[in-house]
Amino acid sequence: MSFVLEPTSDQESVIVRIGKALDFRNAAEFKTVCQEKVREGARNFILDFSETGILDSTGLGSIFSLYRQVSPLNGQVVFASVSRPVQVVVQLTRTYKVFRQFPTVEAAQEALT
Amino acid sequence: MARYSILVVEDEHTLRRLLEYRLSKQYHVRTAANGEEALERINEEIPDLIISDIMMPKMDGFALQAELQQHKDTRAIPFIFLTAKADEQSRLKGMRTGVDDYITKPFDIEQLLSRIDRLLERTKIFQEQLDARIGQDFSRKLMPKTLPQVQNYRVVFHNSPLEHGGGDLFDWTEPEPGVFFFTIGDVMGKGLQAKFYAFSFLAYVRTTLHAMLQDSKSPAELMRRVNRVLMQDEFMQETFASLLIMRWDPATHQITYANAGHCRPVLVAPQGTEVVAYSDMVLGLDMNAEFQDTNLTMPPGSALLTYTDGLIEQHLIGGQMVGEQGILDMAPRALGSHEPIDALLNTVLQRSPENEFSDDILVFWLERQV
Repeated sequence: MSFVLEPTSDQESVIVRIGKALDFRNAAEFKTVCQEKVREGARNFILDFSETGILDSTGLGSIFSLYRQVSPLNGQVVFASVSRPVQVVVQLTRTYKVFRQFPTVEAAQEALT
Repeated sequence: MARYSILVVEDEHTLRRLLEYRLSKQYHVRTAANGEEALERINEEIPDLIISDIMMPKMDGFALQAELQQHKDTRAIPFIFLTAKADEQSRLKGMRTGVDDYITKPFDIEQLLSRIDRLLERTKIFQEQLDARIGQDFSRKLMPKTLPQVQNYRVVFHNSPLEHGGGDLFDWTEPEPGVFFFTIGDVMGKGLQAKFYAFSFLAYVRTTLHAMLQDSKSPAELMRRVNRVLMQDEFMQETFASLLIMRWDPATHQITYANAGHCRPVLVAPQGTEVVAYSDMVLGLDMNAEFQDTNLTMPPGSALLTYTDGLIEQHLIGGQMVGEQGILDMAPRALGSHEPIDALLNTVLQRSPENEFSDDILVFWLERQV
Protein backbone atom coordinates (compact mmCIF):
# COMPACT_ATOMS: atom_id res chain seq x y z
CA MET A 1 0.00 0.00 0.00
CA SER A 2 1.42 3.38 -0.92
CA PHE A 3 -0.27 5.48 1.76
CA VAL A 4 0.41 5.42 5.45
CA LEU A 5 -2.42 6.69 7.62
CA GLU A 6 -1.83 7.81 11.15
CA PRO A 7 -4.49 8.70 13.65
CA THR A 8 -4.03 11.78 15.81
CA SER A 9 -4.99 12.43 19.41
CA ASP A 10 -7.99 14.22 17.95
CA GLN A 11 -10.61 11.65 16.86
CA GLU A 12 -11.65 13.63 13.81
CA SER A 13 -8.24 14.20 12.24
CA VAL A 14 -6.08 11.84 10.20
CA ILE A 15 -2.57 12.27 8.86
CA VAL A 16 -1.97 10.83 5.39
CA ARG A 17 1.68 10.39 4.37
CA ILE A 18 1.46 10.74 0.61
CA GLY A 19 4.81 9.18 -0.28
CA LYS A 20 6.70 9.65 -3.54
CA ALA A 21 3.78 10.04 -5.90
CA LEU A 22 0.06 10.65 -6.06
CA ASP A 23 -0.90 10.12 -9.69
CA PHE A 24 -3.07 8.09 -12.07
CA ARG A 25 -1.51 4.87 -10.76
CA ASN A 26 -2.60 5.20 -7.14
CA ALA A 27 -5.27 7.92 -7.12
CA ALA A 28 -8.09 5.36 -6.93
CA GLU A 29 -6.45 3.74 -3.91
CA PHE A 30 -6.07 7.14 -2.21
CA LYS A 31 -9.79 7.76 -2.75
CA THR A 32 -10.81 4.39 -1.32
CA VAL A 33 -8.55 4.67 1.71
CA CYS A 34 -9.78 8.17 2.56
CA GLN A 35 -13.46 7.32 1.97
CA GLU A 36 -13.12 4.50 4.45
CA LYS A 37 -11.74 6.96 7.03
CA VAL A 38 -14.60 9.37 6.41
CA ARG A 39 -17.05 6.52 7.06
CA GLU A 40 -15.24 5.82 10.30
CA GLY A 41 -15.77 9.43 11.35
CA ALA A 42 -12.67 11.30 10.18
CA ARG A 43 -13.37 14.88 9.10
CA ASN A 44 -9.98 16.58 8.82
CA PHE A 45 -7.20 15.28 6.61
CA ILE A 46 -3.61 16.44 6.94
CA LEU A 47 -1.74 15.49 3.77
CA ASP A 48 2.00 15.21 4.30
CA PHE A 49 3.80 16.00 1.02
CA SER A 50 7.35 16.08 2.34
CA GLU A 51 8.42 13.11 0.17
CA THR A 52 6.25 13.83 -2.84
CA GLY A 53 7.88 14.35 -6.24
CA ILE A 54 4.86 13.71 -8.46
CA LEU A 55 1.32 15.06 -8.22
CA ASP A 56 -0.53 14.83 -11.53
CA SER A 57 -4.02 15.98 -12.44
CA THR A 58 -5.59 12.61 -11.63
CA GLY A 59 -3.94 12.67 -8.20
CA LEU A 60 -5.10 16.22 -7.64
CA GLY A 61 -8.60 15.18 -8.70
CA SER A 62 -8.65 12.54 -5.96
CA ILE A 63 -7.77 15.20 -3.36
CA PHE A 64 -10.57 17.38 -4.74
CA SER A 65 -13.05 14.51 -4.35
CA LEU A 66 -12.02 14.15 -0.74
CA TYR A 67 -12.52 17.87 -0.25
CA ARG A 68 -15.99 17.75 -1.81
CA GLN A 69 -16.79 14.89 0.54
CA VAL A 70 -15.70 16.43 3.84
CA SER A 71 -16.48 20.11 3.32
CA PRO A 72 -20.27 19.66 3.75
CA LEU A 73 -19.42 17.91 7.07
CA ASN A 74 -17.39 20.94 8.15
CA GLY A 75 -14.20 18.99 7.53
CA GLN A 76 -10.97 20.33 6.10
CA VAL A 77 -8.19 19.09 3.87
CA VAL A 78 -4.87 20.77 4.64
CA PHE A 79 -1.42 20.42 3.12
CA ALA A 80 1.75 20.03 5.19
CA SER A 81 5.46 20.18 4.21
CA VAL A 82 4.57 20.97 0.63
CA SER A 83 7.40 19.95 -1.71
CA ARG A 84 8.39 22.06 -4.69
CA PRO A 85 6.66 19.92 -7.39
CA VAL A 86 3.43 19.90 -5.39
CA GLN A 87 3.67 23.67 -4.86
CA VAL A 88 3.89 24.17 -8.65
CA VAL A 89 0.64 22.26 -9.21
CA VAL A 90 -1.11 24.10 -6.39
CA GLN A 91 0.00 27.45 -7.83
CA LEU A 92 -1.07 26.54 -11.33
CA THR A 93 -4.54 25.44 -10.28
CA ARG A 94 -4.92 28.26 -7.73
CA THR A 95 -6.12 25.79 -5.16
CA TYR A 96 -4.20 27.34 -2.25
CA LYS A 97 -7.43 29.27 -1.74
CA VAL A 98 -9.07 26.01 -0.65
CA PHE A 99 -6.28 23.95 0.87
CA ARG A 100 -4.54 25.68 3.77
CA GLN A 101 -0.80 25.03 3.92
CA PHE A 102 1.40 24.45 6.94
CA PRO A 103 5.19 24.13 7.19
CA THR A 104 4.92 20.89 9.20
CA VAL A 105 2.41 18.20 10.11
CA GLU A 106 2.65 19.31 13.75
CA ALA A 107 1.75 22.89 12.87
CA ALA A 108 -1.24 21.61 10.90
CA GLN A 109 -2.36 19.46 13.81
CA GLU A 110 -2.14 22.37 16.19
CA ALA A 111 -4.19 24.59 13.91
CA LEU A 112 -6.91 21.95 13.53
CA THR A 113 -7.46 21.32 17.23
CA MET B 1 -6.73 -5.26 -11.81
CA ALA B 2 -9.69 -7.20 -10.47
CA ARG B 3 -9.44 -10.99 -10.77
CA TYR B 4 -11.53 -12.83 -13.31
CA SER B 5 -14.42 -14.78 -11.89
CA ILE B 6 -15.11 -18.39 -12.85
CA LEU B 7 -18.19 -20.48 -12.13
CA VAL B 8 -17.57 -24.22 -11.71
CA VAL B 9 -20.65 -26.41 -12.23
CA GLU B 10 -20.01 -30.02 -11.17
CA ASP B 11 -22.16 -32.50 -9.24
CA GLU B 12 -19.31 -34.62 -7.98
CA HIS B 13 -18.24 -33.13 -4.68
CA THR B 14 -14.54 -34.10 -4.76
CA LEU B 15 -13.92 -32.84 -8.27
CA ARG B 16 -15.79 -29.62 -7.53
CA ARG B 17 -13.63 -28.97 -4.47
CA LEU B 18 -10.46 -29.85 -6.39
CA LEU B 19 -11.27 -27.43 -9.19
CA GLU B 20 -12.21 -24.74 -6.71
CA TYR B 21 -8.90 -25.22 -4.92
CA ARG B 22 -6.72 -25.18 -8.04
CA LEU B 23 -8.47 -22.30 -9.79
CA SER B 24 -8.66 -20.12 -6.68
CA LYS B 25 -4.95 -19.48 -6.92
CA GLN B 26 -5.58 -17.31 -9.98
CA TYR B 27 -9.27 -16.60 -10.16
CA HIS B 28 -12.26 -15.68 -8.09
CA VAL B 29 -14.15 -19.01 -8.06
CA ARG B 30 -17.76 -19.81 -7.25
CA THR B 31 -19.34 -23.25 -7.49
CA ALA B 32 -22.67 -24.91 -8.20
CA ALA B 33 -23.71 -28.58 -8.02
CA ASN B 34 -26.11 -28.54 -10.98
CA GLY B 35 -27.59 -26.36 -13.70
CA GLU B 36 -30.28 -24.88 -11.50
CA GLU B 37 -27.82 -23.77 -8.85
CA ALA B 38 -25.60 -22.41 -11.60
CA LEU B 39 -28.42 -20.18 -12.87
CA GLU B 40 -28.88 -18.84 -9.34
CA ARG B 41 -25.15 -18.00 -9.09
CA ILE B 42 -25.22 -16.36 -12.53
CA ASN B 43 -28.24 -14.36 -11.47
CA GLU B 44 -26.32 -12.99 -8.48
CA GLU B 45 -23.33 -12.04 -10.59
CA ILE B 46 -22.34 -12.80 -14.15
CA PRO B 47 -19.06 -14.75 -14.24
CA ASP B 48 -16.28 -14.17 -16.78
CA LEU B 49 -16.18 -17.87 -17.65
CA ILE B 50 -18.12 -21.06 -16.92
CA ILE B 51 -16.74 -24.59 -16.61
CA SER B 52 -19.55 -27.14 -16.53
CA ASP B 53 -20.06 -30.88 -16.32
CA ILE B 54 -22.63 -32.38 -18.71
CA MET B 55 -24.27 -35.19 -16.73
CA MET B 56 -25.82 -33.67 -13.62
CA PRO B 57 -29.08 -34.15 -11.68
CA LYS B 58 -31.94 -31.62 -11.93
CA MET B 59 -30.57 -29.60 -14.84
CA ASP B 60 -27.75 -30.98 -16.96
CA GLY B 61 -24.99 -29.10 -18.79
CA PHE B 62 -26.78 -29.01 -22.15
CA ALA B 63 -29.92 -27.58 -20.55
CA LEU B 64 -27.87 -24.98 -18.70
CA GLN B 65 -26.06 -24.00 -21.88
CA ALA B 66 -29.33 -23.77 -23.80
CA GLU B 67 -30.82 -21.58 -21.08
CA LEU B 68 -27.84 -19.21 -21.17
CA GLN B 69 -28.20 -18.93 -24.95
CA GLN B 70 -31.70 -17.49 -24.43
CA HIS B 71 -30.50 -14.27 -22.83
CA LYS B 72 -28.23 -11.68 -24.29
CA ASP B 73 -26.50 -10.99 -20.95
CA THR B 74 -25.34 -14.59 -20.65
CA ARG B 75 -25.07 -15.72 -24.27
CA ALA B 76 -21.48 -14.62 -24.71
CA ILE B 77 -19.98 -15.98 -21.48
CA PRO B 78 -17.07 -18.27 -22.46
CA PHE B 79 -18.20 -21.84 -21.74
CA ILE B 80 -16.09 -24.97 -21.28
CA PHE B 81 -17.65 -28.43 -21.04
CA LEU B 82 -15.87 -30.81 -18.75
CA THR B 83 -17.13 -34.36 -18.95
CA ALA B 84 -16.51 -38.07 -18.88
CA LYS B 85 -18.58 -38.44 -22.01
CA ALA B 86 -15.77 -38.85 -24.48
CA ASP B 87 -18.03 -39.94 -27.32
CA GLU B 88 -18.02 -37.92 -30.47
CA GLN B 89 -21.78 -37.34 -30.44
CA SER B 90 -21.99 -35.27 -27.28
CA ARG B 91 -18.87 -33.45 -28.32
CA LEU B 92 -20.52 -32.43 -31.57
CA LYS B 93 -23.74 -31.53 -29.80
CA GLY B 94 -21.77 -29.31 -27.44
CA MET B 95 -19.95 -27.55 -30.26
CA ARG B 96 -23.19 -26.94 -32.13
CA THR B 97 -24.80 -25.17 -29.21
CA GLY B 98 -22.07 -22.56 -28.88
CA VAL B 99 -19.70 -24.15 -26.41
CA ASP B 100 -16.22 -22.66 -26.67
CA ASP B 101 -14.20 -25.62 -25.54
CA TYR B 102 -14.60 -29.22 -24.50
CA ILE B 103 -12.37 -31.19 -22.14
CA THR B 104 -12.83 -34.87 -21.34
CA LYS B 105 -12.16 -36.48 -17.97
CA PRO B 106 -9.69 -37.53 -16.79
CA PHE B 107 -8.10 -34.24 -17.68
CA ASP B 108 -4.78 -32.57 -17.14
CA ILE B 109 -5.24 -29.52 -14.90
CA GLU B 110 -2.46 -27.62 -16.70
CA GLN B 111 -4.24 -28.12 -19.97
CA LEU B 112 -7.47 -26.82 -18.46
CA LEU B 113 -5.68 -23.78 -17.05
CA SER B 114 -4.11 -22.92 -20.38
CA ARG B 115 -7.48 -23.15 -22.14
CA ILE B 116 -9.07 -20.91 -19.53
CA ASP B 117 -6.26 -18.43 -20.03
CA ARG B 118 -6.73 -18.39 -23.76
CA LEU B 119 -10.48 -17.81 -23.57
CA LEU B 120 -10.16 -15.05 -20.99
CA GLU B 121 -7.42 -13.36 -22.96
CA ARG B 122 -9.66 -13.29 -25.99
CA THR B 123 -12.38 -11.53 -23.97
CA LYS B 124 -9.83 -9.05 -22.67
CA ILE B 125 -8.55 -8.22 -26.13
CA PHE B 126 -12.09 -7.61 -27.40
CA GLN B 127 -12.73 -5.32 -24.44
CA GLU B 128 -9.53 -3.36 -24.98
CA GLN B 129 -10.20 -2.94 -28.68
CA LEU B 130 -13.68 -1.69 -27.93
CA ASP B 131 -12.40 0.74 -25.27
CA ALA B 132 -9.77 2.05 -27.67
CA ARG B 133 -12.39 2.57 -30.37
CA ILE B 134 -14.74 4.44 -28.07
CA GLY B 135 -11.80 6.45 -26.69
CA GLN B 136 -10.69 7.50 -30.16
CA ASP B 137 -14.23 8.44 -31.04
CA PHE B 138 -14.50 10.64 -27.92
CA SER B 139 -11.09 12.18 -28.60
CA ARG B 140 -12.17 13.14 -32.08
CA LYS B 141 -15.39 14.69 -30.81
CA LEU B 142 -13.49 16.71 -28.20
CA MET B 143 -11.51 18.45 -30.91
CA PRO B 144 -12.63 20.71 -33.76
CA LYS B 145 -12.41 19.68 -37.40
CA THR B 146 -11.80 23.19 -38.67
CA LEU B 147 -10.22 26.40 -37.40
CA PRO B 148 -11.15 30.07 -37.88
CA GLN B 149 -9.72 31.67 -41.01
CA VAL B 150 -8.87 35.30 -40.32
CA GLN B 151 -6.83 37.73 -42.38
CA ASN B 152 -3.43 38.67 -40.94
CA TYR B 153 -3.60 35.87 -38.42
CA ARG B 154 -2.31 32.32 -38.35
CA VAL B 155 -4.33 29.89 -36.32
CA VAL B 156 -2.62 26.56 -35.68
CA PHE B 157 -3.72 23.67 -33.54
CA HIS B 158 -2.13 20.35 -32.65
CA ASN B 159 -3.54 17.45 -30.69
CA SER B 160 -2.09 13.99 -30.17
CA PRO B 161 -4.16 12.04 -27.65
CA LEU B 162 -2.78 8.80 -26.25
CA GLU B 163 -4.94 5.71 -26.14
CA HIS B 164 -4.92 5.78 -22.35
CA GLY B 165 -4.84 9.55 -22.15
CA GLY B 166 -7.12 11.92 -20.35
CA GLY B 167 -9.81 14.49 -20.89
CA ASP B 168 -8.21 17.31 -22.86
CA LEU B 169 -10.69 19.41 -24.77
CA PHE B 170 -10.64 22.25 -27.26
CA ASP B 171 -13.49 24.06 -28.93
CA TRP B 172 -14.25 27.33 -30.69
CA THR B 173 -17.25 29.24 -31.88
CA GLU B 174 -17.96 32.46 -33.76
CA PRO B 175 -20.98 33.96 -31.95
CA GLU B 176 -20.94 37.15 -34.01
CA PRO B 177 -19.20 37.63 -37.35
CA GLY B 178 -15.49 38.15 -36.80
CA VAL B 179 -15.48 37.52 -33.03
CA PHE B 180 -14.41 34.16 -31.63
CA PHE B 181 -14.59 32.24 -28.36
CA PHE B 182 -11.97 29.58 -27.65
CA THR B 183 -12.32 26.98 -24.93
CA ILE B 184 -9.32 24.94 -23.82
CA GLY B 185 -9.53 22.61 -20.86
CA ASP B 186 -8.57 19.46 -19.09
CA VAL B 187 -11.04 17.31 -17.20
CA MET B 188 -9.14 15.54 -14.45
CA GLY B 189 -8.66 11.81 -14.60
CA LYS B 190 -7.45 9.22 -17.05
CA GLY B 191 -8.86 6.84 -19.59
CA LEU B 192 -12.28 6.35 -21.04
CA GLN B 193 -14.03 7.73 -17.97
CA ALA B 194 -12.16 11.06 -18.17
CA LYS B 195 -12.94 11.30 -21.87
CA PHE B 196 -16.60 10.63 -21.22
CA TYR B 197 -16.75 13.32 -18.53
CA ALA B 198 -14.83 15.72 -20.75
CA PHE B 199 -17.40 15.10 -23.46
CA SER B 200 -20.32 15.81 -21.12
CA PHE B 201 -18.48 18.80 -19.70
CA LEU B 202 -17.88 20.26 -23.15
CA ALA B 203 -21.59 19.91 -23.87
CA TYR B 204 -22.32 21.93 -20.68
CA VAL B 205 -19.82 24.59 -21.72
CA ARG B 206 -21.33 24.87 -25.20
CA THR B 207 -24.89 25.12 -23.91
CA THR B 208 -23.94 27.64 -21.23
CA LEU B 209 -22.02 29.74 -23.73
CA HIS B 210 -24.90 29.70 -26.14
CA ALA B 211 -27.39 30.77 -23.46
CA MET B 212 -25.10 33.39 -22.01
CA LEU B 213 -24.25 35.18 -25.21
CA GLN B 214 -27.80 36.60 -25.19
CA ASP B 215 -26.90 38.91 -22.33
CA SER B 216 -23.17 38.88 -21.70
CA LYS B 217 -19.85 38.60 -23.53
CA SER B 218 -17.69 38.00 -20.51
CA PRO B 219 -15.54 34.84 -20.29
CA ALA B 220 -15.49 35.27 -16.50
CA GLU B 221 -19.28 35.25 -16.36
CA LEU B 222 -19.31 32.09 -18.46
CA MET B 223 -16.78 30.56 -16.08
CA ARG B 224 -18.98 31.40 -13.07
CA ARG B 225 -21.99 29.74 -14.68
CA VAL B 226 -20.10 26.60 -15.74
CA ASN B 227 -18.64 26.29 -12.25
CA ARG B 228 -22.08 26.55 -10.70
CA VAL B 229 -23.39 23.83 -13.01
CA LEU B 230 -20.50 21.56 -12.00
CA MET B 231 -21.15 22.18 -8.31
CA GLN B 232 -24.91 21.65 -8.47
CA ASP B 233 -25.29 18.78 -10.90
CA GLU B 234 -25.07 15.47 -9.09
CA PHE B 235 -24.02 13.67 -12.23
CA MET B 236 -20.96 15.91 -12.57
CA GLN B 237 -20.07 15.88 -8.86
CA GLU B 238 -16.80 14.04 -9.35
CA THR B 239 -15.80 16.27 -12.22
CA PHE B 240 -13.04 18.81 -11.82
CA ALA B 241 -11.65 20.73 -14.71
CA SER B 242 -9.19 23.43 -15.57
CA LEU B 243 -10.53 25.72 -18.22
CA LEU B 244 -9.36 28.68 -20.22
CA ILE B 245 -11.95 30.74 -22.09
CA MET B 246 -10.77 33.42 -24.49
CA ARG B 247 -12.76 35.92 -26.47
CA TRP B 248 -10.81 37.07 -29.49
CA ASP B 249 -11.60 40.14 -31.56
CA PRO B 250 -9.15 40.15 -34.48
CA ALA B 251 -10.30 43.61 -35.65
CA THR B 252 -8.95 45.24 -32.48
CA HIS B 253 -6.35 42.51 -31.73
CA GLN B 254 -7.89 42.23 -28.28
CA ILE B 255 -8.15 39.07 -26.26
CA THR B 256 -10.27 38.88 -23.14
CA TYR B 257 -9.80 35.74 -21.12
CA ALA B 258 -10.75 34.05 -17.87
CA ASN B 259 -8.57 31.24 -16.60
CA ALA B 260 -9.81 28.63 -14.12
CA GLY B 261 -6.60 26.98 -12.98
CA HIS B 262 -5.51 26.05 -16.47
CA CYS B 263 -1.90 26.13 -17.68
CA ARG B 264 -1.19 29.79 -18.19
CA PRO B 265 -0.86 31.03 -21.78
CA VAL B 266 2.40 32.49 -22.99
CA LEU B 267 2.61 35.60 -25.15
CA VAL B 268 5.55 35.27 -27.52
CA ALA B 269 6.45 38.63 -29.00
CA PRO B 270 9.48 40.05 -30.83
CA GLN B 271 9.95 42.34 -27.79
CA GLY B 272 10.04 39.42 -25.38
CA THR B 273 8.14 36.43 -24.07
CA GLU B 274 5.96 36.47 -21.00
CA VAL B 275 3.48 34.36 -19.08
CA VAL B 276 -0.09 35.65 -19.23
CA ALA B 277 -0.24 35.49 -15.51
CA TYR B 278 -3.64 36.13 -14.05
CA SER B 279 -5.71 33.07 -13.23
CA ASP B 280 -8.38 31.85 -10.82
CA MET B 281 -9.27 28.54 -9.25
CA VAL B 282 -10.00 25.23 -10.95
CA LEU B 283 -13.70 24.46 -11.61
CA GLY B 284 -15.76 22.14 -9.42
CA LEU B 285 -14.31 22.97 -6.00
CA ASP B 286 -15.94 26.11 -4.68
CA MET B 287 -19.48 27.19 -5.39
CA ASN B 288 -18.64 30.84 -4.71
CA ALA B 289 -15.37 30.95 -6.61
CA GLU B 290 -14.80 34.31 -8.30
CA PHE B 291 -13.46 34.68 -11.81
CA GLN B 292 -12.05 37.73 -13.47
CA ASP B 293 -11.68 38.91 -17.04
CA THR B 294 -8.26 40.07 -18.18
CA ASN B 295 -7.54 41.93 -21.41
CA LEU B 296 -4.47 41.79 -23.55
CA THR B 297 -3.59 43.26 -26.90
CA MET B 298 -1.55 41.27 -29.36
CA PRO B 299 1.34 43.28 -30.82
CA PRO B 300 2.25 42.78 -34.51
CA GLY B 301 4.36 39.67 -34.99
CA SER B 302 3.37 38.14 -31.65
CA ALA B 303 1.79 34.78 -30.89
CA LEU B 304 -0.38 33.58 -28.05
CA LEU B 305 0.51 30.02 -27.06
CA THR B 306 -1.94 27.90 -25.05
CA TYR B 307 -1.59 24.24 -24.10
CA THR B 308 -2.51 21.49 -21.64
CA ASP B 309 -0.33 19.97 -18.92
CA GLY B 310 1.11 17.11 -21.01
CA LEU B 311 3.51 19.60 -22.56
CA ILE B 312 4.93 21.06 -19.35
CA GLU B 313 5.03 17.71 -17.56
CA GLN B 314 7.31 16.13 -20.18
CA HIS B 315 10.64 15.26 -18.59
CA LEU B 316 13.88 16.72 -19.92
CA ILE B 317 17.39 15.32 -19.92
CA GLY B 318 18.52 15.97 -16.37
CA GLY B 319 15.20 14.84 -14.89
CA GLN B 320 13.36 18.13 -14.48
CA MET B 321 10.03 18.80 -16.19
CA VAL B 322 9.61 21.32 -19.03
CA GLY B 323 7.53 23.58 -16.82
CA GLU B 324 6.47 27.12 -17.59
CA GLN B 325 10.10 28.14 -17.59
CA GLY B 326 10.88 25.63 -20.33
CA ILE B 327 8.08 27.04 -22.46
CA LEU B 328 9.41 30.57 -21.95
CA ASP B 329 12.85 29.38 -23.10
CA MET B 330 11.73 27.34 -26.07
CA ALA B 331 8.70 29.17 -27.48
CA PRO B 332 10.59 32.18 -28.95
CA ARG B 333 12.44 29.84 -31.36
CA ALA B 334 9.09 28.81 -32.83
CA LEU B 335 8.05 32.38 -33.63
CA GLY B 336 8.24 33.02 -37.38
CA SER B 337 8.57 29.35 -38.17
CA HIS B 338 6.46 27.81 -40.92
CA GLU B 339 5.12 25.21 -38.53
CA PRO B 340 5.43 26.89 -35.14
CA ILE B 341 3.85 24.08 -33.10
CA ASP B 342 5.98 21.38 -34.77
CA ALA B 343 9.03 23.54 -34.15
CA LEU B 344 8.17 23.88 -30.46
CA LEU B 345 7.37 20.19 -29.98
CA ASN B 346 10.57 19.16 -31.76
CA THR B 347 12.62 21.43 -29.52
CA VAL B 348 11.02 19.87 -26.44
CA LEU B 349 11.65 16.33 -27.71
CA GLN B 350 15.26 17.15 -28.58
CA ARG B 351 15.81 18.11 -24.95
CA SER B 352 13.93 15.10 -23.64
CA PRO B 353 15.42 11.64 -23.12
CA GLU B 354 12.29 10.15 -24.74
CA ASN B 355 11.45 10.04 -28.44
CA GLU B 356 7.82 10.79 -27.84
CA PHE B 357 5.56 12.53 -25.38
CA SER B 358 4.41 10.55 -22.38
CA ASP B 359 1.02 12.27 -22.11
CA ASP B 360 -1.65 13.82 -24.32
CA ILE B 361 -0.40 16.89 -26.14
CA LEU B 362 -2.68 19.78 -27.02
CA VAL B 363 -1.23 23.05 -28.28
CA PHE B 364 -2.96 26.08 -29.77
CA TRP B 365 -1.02 28.85 -31.47
CA LEU B 366 -2.57 32.18 -32.47
CA GLU B 367 -0.16 34.41 -34.37
CA ARG B 368 -0.68 37.97 -35.53
CA GLN B 369 1.38 38.55 -38.61
CA VAL B 370 3.67 41.55 -38.94
